[in-house]
Amino acid sequence: MEFLYYFDEVFTLWAFSMLLLGTVFGLILGATPGLSPTMAVALAIPFTFKMEPAHGLILLGALYTSTVAGGAVSAILLKIPGAPANIATTLDGHAMAKNGDGKRALQLSFLASLFGGVAGVLLLIFTTPILAKWALVFGPSESFWIAILGVTIIGTLGSTSVIKGLLAGCIGLWISTIGFDDILGTQRFIFHSSLAGGINIIPALIGLFAIPQVIAMFAKGRSHEDMEVLEIKPHPLRKAIREVASSRRALGIGTAVGSMIGLIPGVGGQIAGLVAYDQTRNFSPERTKFGTGHPEGIIAAEAANNAMVGPSLVPLLTLSIPGSPTAAVLLGGLIIHGIFPGPNIFRDYPQVVWPFINSMLIGQVLMCVFGLMIAGAAAHVARVPRSVMAAVVLALAVFGSYSVQLSMDDVFVMLILGTGMYFLERYGYSAAPLVLGLILGPIAEGNFVEGAMIAAAQNGIGTYFFTGTLNLTMIAIVVGSIAYSVWLELKNRQVGGV
Amino acid sequence: MKKLLAGAAIALTTLAGIAQADGHANYPDRPIMLMVSYGAGGATDFQARIVTMTAGNDDALGMPIAIINKPGAGGRVGWNWLASQAEADGYTMGAYNIPHFIAQSVKGGVDYSAASFEPIANWGADPAVFVVAADSEFNSMADVVTWAKANPGKLTFSGAGLFVGHHIAALQIEKAAGVKMAYIPNKSGGSGAMKAVIAGDVMAGVNNLSDAFRARAAGTVKILGVADLERNSFMEDVPTMMEQGLNVDNASVNFRGVMVPKGTPQGVIDKLAAAVPAMFANSRVAGKMKAGGSPMHIMTRDEVLAMWAAREKTLKDLLAGL
Amino acid sequence: MQKYQHAIPAGLIALLGLWVAYVSYTQSPAAAFAFPRLVSAVFVVLAVWTFVKALREGADQDGGFTRTEIFKIAPGMILSAAYVFWGAKFFGFYTGTTIAFFILLSLYDPADHQLAKSWVKRVIITAGFMAVMYCLFALILNVYTPREIWS
Repeated sequence: MEFLYYFDEVFTLWAFSMLLLGTVFGLILGATPGLSPTMAVALAIPFTFKMEPAHGLILLGALYTSTVAGGAVSAILLKIPGAPANIATTLDGHAMAKNGDGKRALQLSFLASLFGGVAGVLLLIFTTPILAKWALVFGPSESFWIAILGVTIIGTLGSTSVIKGLLAGCIGLWISTIGFDDILGTQRFIFHSSLAGGINIIPALIGLFAIPQVIAMFAKGRSHEDMEVLEIKPHPLRKAIREVASSRRALGIGTAVGSMIGLIPGVGGQIAGLVAYDQTRNFSPERTKFGTGHPEGIIAAEAANNAMVGPSLVPLLTLSIPGSPTAAVLLGGLIIHGIFPGPNIFRDYPQVVWPFINSMLIGQVLMCVFGLMIAGAAAHVARVPRSVMAAVVLALAVFGSYSVQLSMDDVFVMLILGTGMYFLERYGYSAAPLVLGLILGPIAEGNFVEGAMIAAAQNGIGTYFFTGTLNLTMIAIVVGSIAYSVWLELKNRQVGGV
Repeated sequence: MKKLLAGAAIALTTLAGIAQADGHANYPDRPIMLMVSYGAGGATDFQARIVTMTAGNDDALGMPIAIINKPGAGGRVGWNWLASQAEADGYTMGAYNIPHFIAQSVKGGVDYSAASFEPIANWGADPAVFVVAADSEFNSMADVVTWAKANPGKLTFSGAGLFVGHHIAALQIEKAAGVKMAYIPNKSGGSGAMKAVIAGDVMAGVNNLSDAFRARAAGTVKILGVADLERNSFMEDVPTMMEQGLNVDNASVNFRGVMVPKGTPQGVIDKLAAAVPAMFANSRVAGKMKAGGSPMHIMTRDEVLAMWAAREKTLKDLLAGL
Repeated sequence: MQKYQHAIPAGLIALLGLWVAYVSYTQSPAAAFAFPRLVSAVFVVLAVWTFVKALREGADQDGGFTRTEIFKIAPGMILSAAYVFWGAKFFGFYTGTTIAFFILLSLYDPADHQLAKSWVKRVIITAGFMAVMYCLFALILNVYTPREIWS
């Protein structure tokens, strides 16, 4: 309960202003297509040089939490996820917004974020030693199986048929191999010099989601009909609170899956939302309604997303192992202030670490409050005429993909992938499985290659990947997940559905 | 508005040819970009951000330096970009890692070599160290070598990638001890390689002294040896490889510094070569570097040129056998 | 033509898959292409399956394009391409974006182009948006963009 002593450090004038600043900016940056949490945190680091360590960290922590939640805004209103973590939110969130319930979707998403986020930080506060052990259990073979588990979800996301979903996933997996091979340095599929740097996930994400939206707005031409992007019906906050509070299954699965997967170094953050979404769907009696604007879909995805934030800091704080690109940047922020993370960080630097963690708790609340204010203003955003929205999104997509590594090549890749995706979408393919393939490809390949090399020096690949409790458990979940999808598919066919 | 006016003023001066007349007296008149070929948060990135933080001061360059990350394939993506696509106008610089980029160019398959770049100054030297998990049975390099001799090819040890400093150190250790071990390059670089050691995915690892210093302070690893000519001031108690009977010199020491692409005007290079070492020597920079456990080693352009040439020769000999 | 519309993308994807497989299985070193080989094998099987299915089912599937739609998206797409591949670098980021933004707005604004008022409105929207972009990217985030044509 030591952390309780450090709450007043968060409520000093300076610390609280940092927290407010970080939250508001984080929400804005997160909601801007193309500005990922990693970038937001990296850009803020120079500002923290001159601050006191605790204040600097509070700013970074607030930015991290609120950019993740802010990404839901554009995911819901525009079907453009602010970061890879928000992909799952587009599936039901945008569908709900299209039905006119954009405000409700935003309220659900921020309330679920608050729940997941607070639960995640509480896990960080109370169970860090246990979580730290769990994070280390995932070696190359276990991480490989996690990636394969992700692959099994691919087929069921958003496409009109499982085959088309899997095919889009394959295209994504292939795209992830373009560029230099990470270990051997071999050039692969570089058929144009713009591809020499490989396909960066952020420009690809912007292109695949934003450009089809822009072209779809072009397709309506200069007609006066439904000139606004979306219709937004009013939705009282207490109804949303009641709805979230009663969705215990989605909240529970989202938070549990999010915090467990988010913890795994190098794998978790980007797929936690999708895995939680898929699991909640599997356990829901209204399985078939997912994807059409089901509240559970939004709640599970956003609870998982924010539940991941707290635990993802465990390997960073206790072992000095950054589990995600954002955590790597945070690590830099800590070291610059002379704070070396390690098992004794809570003993050695309590005056910095506890205010930091506490501020993330308060930050979750602030994030939710400001987020709900945004939800109230969403109706105005949606009233922007289509022609203006198309131009705004295009310009943001260009600036966003350019700023990731100041590269015009990334902008070219963004536009080409996005245009291709628009046409594919019209023929029943979907961007979500493609992006998932793009994310999982390097995780699966890297861990397989690393595992295979270790196995070759030890007992051979069979033993390395197929023995051990955790490996076998993961394999069982993978097999179960595939079998369940096949069974459902067959059952639906018998009933006559698709 | 001010910026607009300034922009117009610059356009006019350029038109009038004044800028051409007096060479590069106005350089730099806008922010400079420093490309780091490793991800944000990595050791190189983090040190680059510290050593350039005073660039905007009047006694340094008078213009800020913006860090931009182009990670991938052990640095190849970024250095390829710098050699073949970056504008050589003095506003695009790159961070170098020796022996990495020279070893990669010796191995082939990339668009650059030491001749593609002009060094400006060196800021740090980070030796490779041999680490094992805190609960490992190995307590010295001799233990490691004995085990490796009894189990040829079975001792797994991680490093940041192929043809980077860690790999060079690994090759030298294997050669000096006359044993075969299994070097496991990690695709997430140094931090991934360190995770593999701490988590027990591999039995040992080669890693940066600065990162290992912090990991040891955190109590997660033991450091068995330094691949350098002398002991390091950050860890006087850790013996060098030579002291432990392994003939490993400082060829793997990771020198970090700043360079520009070939073709950058000589006037700009001279100006940078004069200003940048002084900027690195700033006391605030030194303080932050020390706090972060990062050894500094400032070298001027001429010293770096000599060091590059010497490294290239050593690496050609070492890698010839592969 | 309309009947086999679905077969065209499926066919193109199948061709892409075959090319990926060809490259994966002919390039060396094998270790670097092990993963692409695995992916491309699955890729080709799925793509051929989809292609055959599209041929057999013909026009029974949903989606696809009509001619009027193509005419509606063409100007926007041509402008986007010109902006991204040429304008942004040629005019400089902010100048290029201002031009592209204004043209795009004018192309798709439902308001009557004879009305002077609608032009003024579009100029104001463009100026306001560009001011926000400049504040966000140049002043707050310090993003380093290619030089403007007039500087």
